[in-house]
Amino acid sequence: MPEVNEIKLETRDAITVMDIRGDVTAFSEPFLNDAYQSANARGTGKILLKFDSTAYINSGGIAVLIQVLAQTQKNKQLIGITGISDHFKKIFNMVGITKFAKIYESLEDALKQMA
Amino acid sequence: MPPHLEEQIIEITLPNQVGYERIAMASAATFAKMLGLAPERIEDLKTIVAEASINAMQHGNKDRPDARVSVSMMLKSNSIHVAVADQGKGFSTFLPDPNIERIVNELDPPVGFGTFLIRQLADQVDIEKTADGTNIVRMTIKL
Repeated sequence: MPEVNEIKLETRDAITVMDIRGDVTAFSEPFLNDAYQSANARGTGKILLKFDSTAYINSGGIAVLIQVLAQTQKNKQLIGITGISDHFKKIFNMVGITKFAKIYESLEDALKQMA
Repeated sequence: MPPHLEEQIIEITLPNQVGYERIAMASAATFAKMLGLAPERIEDLKTIVAEASINAMQHGNKDRPDARVSVSMMLKSNSIHVAVADQGKGFSTFLPDPNIERIVNELDPPVGFGTFLIRQLADQVDIEKTADGTNIVRMTIKL
């Protein structure tokens, strides 16, 4: 049951915002990887992953996100997350994503603090 | 809570394809809402039902397209009991907890998150191996 993610890249205050539309599952891997490679090609040092607040994120999606985190660590990039529901804030904290990416309450808050 | 819900079994079967776990999630959420489970615990219930269903599809049934996954739910002793059964012989135990530092440093593969979340979010988890070798993951969430 493949799904499609639409991911828009936007640069704001030297931060590349990856605006991820749709659910995040194992099927998201090519979309997230392509978007990350495009962001990386821009020479960005800061990346913000912006999710739909209603997005369903399962273990396959978590694995894909962690692979993106691994690439940002390798490329010494700062990464942040915003837009996720309280439930997924808890989940991201449980699995340890928050050791590598800070979660911000809003896009504005993320842009201000990551600048 | 409607008294007639006690010990009534809700059972659905899913095609063995990732994505259909959402049907089980929606059913579990509706059932839990009828029982008055707190909204944050309904989200936990949805996650454990989804992850156990995906685990059954991929690891129990080994992605076999002809297999099914059965999800049953019941209120008993002030807890929601969920059982997720596969038709395969794919696993006998859950994977160990993932170590995110090792995964980010590409020392471990990025696996084990689903079963980790089940263990973290459910009040009780048991894996039962049936006589014919299939698996039933039994999970409990207290009201």
